[in-house]
Amino acid sequence: MSDTAPSCHASTTATPADNPFLNGLWKQNPVFVQVLGMCPTLAITNSVRNAIAMGLATTFVLVFSNTLISMVRKIIPSQVRIASYIAIIATSVTIVGYLVDAISISVSKALGPFIPLIVANCIILERAEAFAAKKPVVKSFLDGLGMGLGFAFALTCLGTVREVLGAGTWLGIPLFGPHFEPWVLFVLPPGGFIALAIWLLTFSTFRSWRAKKKAAATPALVALSEVHS
Amino acid sequence: MNPAPRTAPTIPMIKVLGTISLLCGILIVFTQVTTLARIRHNKEALMHELIEQLLPGIQKQINYGIEPNGDLTILPGLEGEGRRIFAGYDAGGNFLGLVVETNDRGYADTINAMYAYQPDTRTITGFQVVDMRETPGLGDRIRSDPGFLENFKNIDASEAHPIVTVKHGTKKNSWEIDAISGATVSSRAVGRMLQKSVDEKAPIIARNLDRIKRGK
Repeated sequence: MSDTAPSCHASTTATPADNPFLNGLWKQNPVFVQVLGMCPTLAITNSVRNAIAMGLATTFVLVFSNTLISMVRKIIPSQVRIASYIAIIATSVTIVGYLVDAISISVSKALGPFIPLIVANCIILERAEAFAAKKPVVKSFLDGLGMGLGFAFALTCLGTVREVLGAGTWLGIPLFGPHFEPWVLFVLPPGGFIALAIWLLTFSTFRSWRAKKKAAATPALVALSEVHS
Repeated sequence: MNPAPRTAPTIPMIKVLGTISLLCGILIVFTQVTTLARIRHNKEALMHELIEQLLPGIQKQINYGIEPNGDLTILPGLEGEGRRIFAGYDAGGNFLGLVVETNDRGYADTINAMYAYQPDTRTITGFQVVDMRETPGLGDRIRSDPGFLENFKNIDASEAHPIVTVKHGTKKNSWEIDAISGATVSSRAVGRMLQKSVDEKAPIIARNLDRIKRGK
């Protein structure tokens, strides 16, 4: 389940008209729309706490690397740009590792090797290459923030389904009383795939319903403007 | 004669990569230095919290390091992971018991844990997981399952019987651990790690018991 391929950015570059923050959060959500970074998405979403922690750690890395790469984008020769990006991304992952340790040892232990593995998350390099390398600092910062929070949002959605069904709790708070029999499958790896499939289906159904609604509304708007003119 | 193919200038590349690497290095060192004290404090706080849960009423703690020859030395901090034991005392300086670290391979990875040991009665009176990656909802219940933790209120750790994990619902004796149904591998690891640690540490503790009780 390697997601390190830097070539996966081709279809997802934001258009200049888009708000870079909302773009990452919703329109181009890294998990639900771009389907990137599946390794941590499936591996650590067995509890909401882990999902939020991982989402925030990735957000930090995205914001830090996007901002820094955008700042130095004009002085980096194109031949060594990927090496430079990787050095910056690896630095931000190392920093986030120390910060998570400093904030909470228990969260750091729960996330285990997945914090260092953020460096191999496809989304980070994709945003560096497809956005930060071409856009000014503020836009790159907002893009990193939007993408990161979009990733955190998606992870939390997955974590919610898995923890509620698989353990009967949400953020460790029991929801169903002592007689609830947890659906353990959901905290195990197959549950990750099932929960992801449910969310992808829900998200794409919602998007196509919105697109149809928009398409249906457009002729009416055109007709209305013609009447007014 | 064809002109030589154009190659990118090497020196600017080296300069840029060198500068970026240097800056990244400085950033990492800066973060490491600024978070070092906080990370150490977090680790110590976690350890103290677990020791307090294992030895209720503890007011004073002495950390002993185990020398290769089996002697004990007083440690100023929490260094020497795996080669140390913690002795707890109440406000009056009375000896409450020992906390010993142990580990063994669980289902997913090594389980690190600590247990409270009473050297006079050779019993285990508490168990806490420090660090593990057992399956959430199954193996990780060794940390939280009230029925499982009930096992460790009084476990016979004498030489007469080895500590063993038995199938859920079949515990009859005080040296047996009632496994969690559906988490047999993790439950067995707990039994193994306790027996392994008692085999290794109980003779050292017995030899130094007078000194430990005096808190010297």
